[in-house]
Amino acid sequence: MTWTCEHIEARLSDYVDGLLSPDERHEFDVHANSCENCSEMVASISHLVSGLHNLEQIETPPRLVYSILNQTLGPREAKKGWRGAFGWLGGLASARFAYYGVSVAATMLILLTAAGFSWRKPKLADLSPVSIYHNADRQAHLVYARSTKFVSDLRVVYEIQSRLNKDNELPTTPESNVPQSSPGKAPGSTDGTRPATPRQQNRADGLGREIQVLASEVPVVSAQFCGRLLGRRIP
Amino acid sequence: MAPCNFWGKLVTVAGFEADDTLEQDAQLVQQCLQGDGSAWEELVRRHTRRIFNICYRFTGNGTEAEDLSQDVFLRVYRTLGSYRSAHGGFATWMTSVTRNLLIDHYRRTKRDRITDSLEDSMTVVENKESSGRRPDQQLLLGELSSQVQTALTKLSPELREAVILRDLQQLEYNEIRQVLDVPEGTVKSRINRGRIELARILQQMGVRPS
Repeated sequence: MTWTCEHIEARLSDYVDGLLSPDERHEFDVHANSCENCSEMVASISHLVSGLHNLEQIETPPRLVYSILNQTLGPREAKKGWRGAFGWLGGLASARFAYYGVSVAATMLILLTAAGFSWRKPKLADLSPVSIYHNADRQAHLVYARSTKFVSDLRVVYEIQSRLNKDNELPTTPESNVPQSSPGKAPGSTDGTRPATPRQQNRADGLGREIQVLASEVPVVSAQFCGRLLGRRIP
Repeated sequence: MAPCNFWGKLVTVAGFEADDTLEQDAQLVQQCLQGDGSAWEELVRRHTRRIFNICYRFTGNGTEAEDLSQDVFLRVYRTLGSYRSAHGGFATWMTSVTRNLLIDHYRRTKRDRITDSLEDSMTVVENKESSGRRPDQQLLLGELSSQVQTALTKLSPELREAVILRDLQQLEYNEIRQVLDVPEGTVKSRINRGRIELARILQQMGVRPS
């Protein structure tokens, strides 16, 4: 039997839904491929069905479920007994709560460590507010002292580096290295220039002490080198 | 021209009457009948979206769809004792209740719609400027979804419900037959005519779904 346009229109959904037998499908294809109108109609319905299937479901208004429950079960009463007491635990089983829990735990870990709590030998006494306060105070002072020392060390190294650079810039001829004494200057007398102000002397003394400390701690900067740099002997 | 042979299998997979769903629904219904409120709450949460979508696609109005969804659940709650799992899945039964309420609603509001349609034709310019009657729904729906919705409301209720159940809810033919309570041949005929008519309306609107 040769199919006509009426056959095609009547069996269009069966074709699109894949409900035709192989013979019917063949007849359908033979006609649809030879008839422009039917071909367009089949393409149109195929697109339509595909588009309808791909449409997303509409979101339900949030209040709808509660309205239905209120109408059917009545206004929701507070749960009594054990279910009421532990009903809030149901809300804990959520990803958001897990995220908050991990965040709080990490924060507590950092704070307790900063407060001097020993994780290797935990003691209950370490958790008392007084111990936490003392430990936190001690840790804060330690951190402050270490920071100050670090900055001071950096400054000393910078000063040494500056002086070394300055020495390298000086002329290297032997004559120029010989100290020139003032012609009219007797030993022990001043040459008319003003001596260093007390503030500058203090700073120089402080710098000397810091270099001594650095020399004792940093083997690269030897004591003799520092002594030569300062023009005095370092014990 | 590529036929959609895979739809049959896909619809079977996507259909809501999967075996585990059937069992869970039947179990929840039993618990409800024994007075378990939480089981009813679970049933409501499982089926609200589907029922709301059917109502919305049929009426094309969010407020009406909400009211009708509430009516559906109220009726289901009151008549839950009459449900027999041997006669089909709970979802099919619920869809049948929904369909009956929608048809009742359609008949009840027919006169209002005729009046509305006269008013709409007189204020067509205003409607075009405001891009539809419900701005919130314009945000809710995509453009194609909105155009399909407009075209759906122009179908007769028999064709509309058949297309909604088959192509938007992706029910099987025998499930639609149960819901509509008509022979399967009638179901096929309605779906076919509904699709052809919907394609023609969309073509007139200048829409080509892809």
